Amino acid sequence: MFLINCPYCGERDQSEFTAGGEAHIVRPKQPTELSDDQWAEFLFMRKNIKGVQLERWNHSHGCRKWFNMVRDTSNDRIHAVYKMGQKPPIE
Amino acid sequence: MLNFNNPVIDTKEYSEIRISKTEPILKMNLRGKNRDFITKIGKELSIITPVDPNTSASNEKLNLLWLSPDEWLLYSNHMIDLKDANFLDDKLFNEISKKKLGSVTNVSDHWIMINLNGKKVFELLSAGCPYNFNNFKNSKGAVTQTLFNHIDVIIHNKNVNDLNLFVRRSFSEHLFLWMNDAASRI
Amino acid sequence: MTKNLRITNNKFIDQTSRISFKFDGKILYGFKGDTLASALLANNIHLVGRSFKYHRPRGIMACGSEEPNAIVQVGKDASMTEPNTRATEIELYEGLEASSQNCWPSVNFDVGAINNFFSPIIPAAFYYKTFMWPANFWKLYEYFIRKSAGLGKSPTKPDKDIYDHRYLHCDVLVVGGGISGIMAAKTAAKNNLNTVLIDDKNILGGTTIFQQNECFKINNSYSNDWLKKEIDTLNSFKNLTIKTRTSLAAYHSYNYLLAKENLTDHLDLNEKKDKIRQRLWKIRAKKVIISTGAIERPLIFNNNDRPGIILSSSIKKYIDFYGVKCGQKISLFTNNDSAYETAISLNSSGVSVNSVVDIRDKTNSLIVKQAEKLGIKIHWKSTIVNTNGYKKINAIEIMKLSDDGTAVVGKKINEKCDCLGISGGWTPRVHLFTQSGGKLKFRDKDNVFVPDKSELDQISIGSCNGDFELDEVIKNTVNLINKFLKVNNSAYENLEIISSKEIDKKNIWLLPSDKPLGKTKPFLDFQNDSTAIDVKLALREGFKSIEHVKRYTTTGMATDQGKLSNMHALGIIAETAGVKMGELGTTTFRPPYTPLTFGAIVGRNVGEFFDITRKTPMHDWHVENKAEFENVGQWKRAWYYPIENENMYEAVQRESKAARDSAGILDASTLGKIDIQGTDASEFLNRVYTNAWSKLEIGKCRYGLMLNEDGMVYDDGVTTRLSENHYLMTTTTGGAANVLSKLEDYLQTEWPELDVYLTSVTDHYGTISICGPNSKKIISKVIPDLDLSDKEFPHMSYKNALIDNIKCRIMRISFTGEHSYEINIQSSYAKSVWEKCFEAGKDFNITPYGTETMHLLRAEKGFIIAGQDTDGTMTPVDLQMDWIISKKKYDFIGKRSLYRSDTIREDRKQLVGLLTDDPKEILEEGAQIVAETNKQPVEMLGHVTSSYFSPNLNKSIALAVIKNGKKLKGQKMFVPMKNKTINVTITDTVFLDKENKRLNA
Repeated sequence: MFLINCPYCGERDQSEFTAGGEAHIVRPKQPTELSDDQWAEFLFMRKNIKGVQLERWNHSHGCRKWFNMVRDTSNDRIHAVYKMGQKPPIE
Repeated sequence: MLNFNNPVIDTKEYSEIRISKTEPILKMNLRGKNRDFITKIGKELSIITPVDPNTSASNEKLNLLWLSPDEWLLYSNHMIDLKDANFLDDKLFNEISKKKLGSVTNVSDHWIMINLNGKKVFELLSAGCPYNFNNFKNSKGAVTQTLFNHIDVIIHNKNVNDLNLFVRRSFSEHLFLWMNDAASRI
Repeated sequence: MTKNLRITNNKFIDQTSRISFKFDGKILYGFKGDTLASALLANNIHLVGRSFKYHRPRGIMACGSEEPNAIVQVGKDASMTEPNTRATEIELYEGLEASSQNCWPSVNFDVGAINNFFSPIIPAAFYYKTFMWPANFWKLYEYFIRKSAGLGKSPTKPDKDIYDHRYLHCDVLVVGGGISGIMAAKTAAKNNLNTVLIDDKNILGGTTIFQQNECFKINNSYSNDWLKKEIDTLNSFKNLTIKTRTSLAAYHSYNYLLAKENLTDHLDLNEKKDKIRQRLWKIRAKKVIISTGAIERPLIFNNNDRPGIILSSSIKKYIDFYGVKCGQKISLFTNNDSAYETAISLNSSGVSVNSVVDIRDKTNSLIVKQAEKLGIKIHWKSTIVNTNGYKKINAIEIMKLSDDGTAVVGKKINEKCDCLGISGGWTPRVHLFTQSGGKLKFRDKDNVFVPDKSELDQISIGSCNGDFELDEVIKNTVNLINKFLKVNNSAYENLEIISSKEIDKKNIWLLPSDKPLGKTKPFLDFQNDSTAIDVKLALREGFKSIEHVKRYTTTGMATDQGKLSNMHALGIIAETAGVKMGELGTTTFRPPYTPLTFGAIVGRNVGEFFDITRKTPMHDWHVENKAEFENVGQWKRAWYYPIENENMYEAVQRESKAARDSAGILDASTLGKIDIQGTDASEFLNRVYTNAWSKLEIGKCRYGLMLNEDGMVYDDGVTTRLSENHYLMTTTTGGAANVLSKLEDYLQTEWPELDVYLTSVTDHYGTISICGPNSKKIISKVIPDLDLSDKEFPHMSYKNALIDNIKCRIMRISFTGEHSYEINIQSSYAKSVWEKCFEAGKDFNITPYGTETMHLLRAEKGFIIAGQDTDGTMTPVDLQMDWIISKKKYDFIGKRSLYRSDTIREDRKQLVGLLTDDPKEILEEGAQIVAETNKQPVEMLGHVTSSYFSPNLNKSIALAVIKNGKKLKGQKMFVPMKNKTINVTITDTVFLDKENKRLNA
């Protein structure tokens, strides 16, 4: 059970949160201009890295805000959290 | 006249825990992002809008709880009559929502407020809340949104060992019974 | 016949309070403070169980959670009996009833013991190999295997005990209250840290608390006296919580730990009632200090499993702590110094020690010298090659070891004894450390795995960190704790410590015998009955990985998780395979450390609290009116309202007819409701729904379909425009929370520029839906001043109104196809309004109907239920709802997916109506649809999603999804069932009132 530092509310138990998959996948502004393959890339393709991964999380049972997280999936270590719209604080 | 019906939540006393309900009270959900919104609420309510996470501000009549960077819960301290409630509701809606500063939504019946009082209230909470109350306990006015027996709650630290807990109405009876079961064994 | 096995001068057992208990039906006596194991030993009972595979007699072997043999069934009550509990951990109480497991008909005469004689033909993985074929014989085999094997018996009735959960947050958690744990807890508490100390025993102090020996002194006091004083000072710290009888079960990442506190297990039967039995603590600690000590290893030699063979340190605890002699003539067998402590303790309590058999060459440590001084005989460089005695050891056979330790030489010495203490050195309890993800390192000098690296803020101290000598424990604990807590506690710095130091170390994993290995029984895993031979066989058969060997031989897989056996298994594997132990690694230690009861895991969420229930404001009315309830998510919804002896079918037929003939009333309060405000509200709705919203007039309602980005239908509902920038959205009951969360997601991440605010008002409003040709008359009675004319208040519009001064919103919307109204009023008044409507409707036979009738009525109209007729693979086109997809809008969620190559396929499953050739035949929901009946295998074209008998049409109707269904209208299909095949015809989805005349009737 993680202890997650919500960028708005502070440290909270993981049970207050919902995971939302890979971060920084921006919804295309003009979907109609895209080919099937390009759209499928946005729709289905996710990295699922073993190692450091950027993820979306929602403090669903707290402030209900979405934010991003840098997490190492191999040992569950959370390196950083940052707000939506901000750049990842690592390389 | 229509009858007023609330979920059955009687006052219950256990060793150093008292569970009671004060209803009807006015509850409003306020949302907005910009500075004008924040100053406007302050002005309309004569309260300095709390902008620090997990805090609140109060006057004799009202409490304003921080819920998120763009969301607050307003509730009245005491039972409020229908006319006054409608008046405040309309005033805020007209001044904020109609003026495009944010949103104002009456949630008086969305939440049920349960007061928890006594030396062992935090023991009761520890039976079902993953939240760490160690600092909260000593900060008057502190607010937290968390889970209590897997149910979403808002908890407002009114005073020493005196908490107001908000739970969605449909869950309130279940949570109340569960709390009684827990409190009876503390 | 029971000899007096108690010594009288003992601090820990209250010999004035006698306790009676039953073991295997026999009434026995013990004292307060005893464990079941110590009381049994005091009654000279060693034989407590039979082994798992060979049914060999087994006795108490240890004194704590590592006990492999003495696992018993506690209690007889069908609801409270508990299997697989360790006799060494059960505190004796008045009324305790326990019995042996894994033996039939009794522990003294066990039919299964015949397996012992067949043991040469029951090698490792015997069951896997033998009962594999023929496959269908397994049913037969299983019956016998389960009957003759199996451990205890599960309770057959619900557990009457009460369990509880608690969350706990602390600065420092200390696990284990031995000498190092006590020092750590005191240091933390002294430095104002919020500290919690837990220990699984009822008395703090670990093994030091009964270590009274000249060779171990602190500041001129015996180590136990010094520690006792330290423990006494702990009470003065208000910021220190001590929990005894609390065992740590699991150590997860982020310093999240689970501990089980036993609250009543030690109480007399009549004191247990109405109290919480066990509490599971969910602990979040900033820092964790592990001081769980070490487990003594057995030695692996021929017939090392007989009753009466006990770990040497346990014999010491039984005599020094419980005042119980494990025997009258005890022999000891060791490869290290600690057995000498036992010898000295026994000697000073007047128990005669035959001899100590030590595999080492003569050594001269302080404690060995003291033993020699007391005249204790020592066989140096010797081993035990065999033991005798079937149900209790009665003799050992001793031989000299060869120089390299691989063989025995010389003459065999027979020594009579009634108990044998064995000590193979110590294994640090690193289980919790590894559970938390910590990595171990191997220390060659004494063959132990000790904690190495951890990602968490934690530390291991004392013997679980590999410090076995008293002076080292103290010195290292002080240094480690000061550094770990960043404090400077000097209280323990200048202690004067006398500590016997072990000088010589020697280890042989598998001790040689005068017989060939195959003729011996050197047990490794006592509980699962696997021997060193099994492990060697597994290696010969090609298993290399320790994890594979473990599973193949089941070594370490019993309820004790191999606490005693793992190291030897590793040692033997490493030796046989010729690899280094450090490279071999260990098997994974998984939680729980000791078994947890289901009760402790579940806590108080049983019975009425098993699942959360949500109730509508009118719930009590439904109860009073005898409604049957249906669970919809967490909601309790009125399902149908049977009158007299009606069954569900009859009630639903009556309700459905009444709703169309005159008037029906439905509690729709569970629908999700979202208040939407903001200058971009219309634009937002344009983006989330498939249809257009900008031109919706104020005061009008519109049905909307929400898709996922993949184009599949996600949710639906009616949204009302309350004013220019203010909407009220409704969602399905089950989708409410997810829809709100999804919409918030888009607003926060994709479209932060939109000025839109969402607030859930689901619970704020009660929703009463009144439908039927007389609904208008009823509403006009309830709200007389409201103009209900079609012109003023047409279908798909809303009005504000007052009912007795309470504001409400009336929507004229319909999910049944009937003329109908929905009243939304704040929940506190909803029940009262409901009753008012019901009263007003009495003249029109207003009939309350539940979810089942609602489903039937909408099916007659071909309206879908998201989640019943859709399953996340249906596009609006598949649902034949092309009309709701705006062609003009540039974008909305899921739009692009509607013309992916897959979604435009013509042979997708599409929603259709089905009529049975026999109008009385009702299809089963979920039934498959096929085009022909002769071919095998036959292609499944689709399935029935909704099916009812319509009382209004007097025939059976169904909705179904079927491949290329749109084009198959009028076609005949078959629904094959178990006993028959039902003929059906594909039709349009709307069965009733295709022209929508009833909406304005």
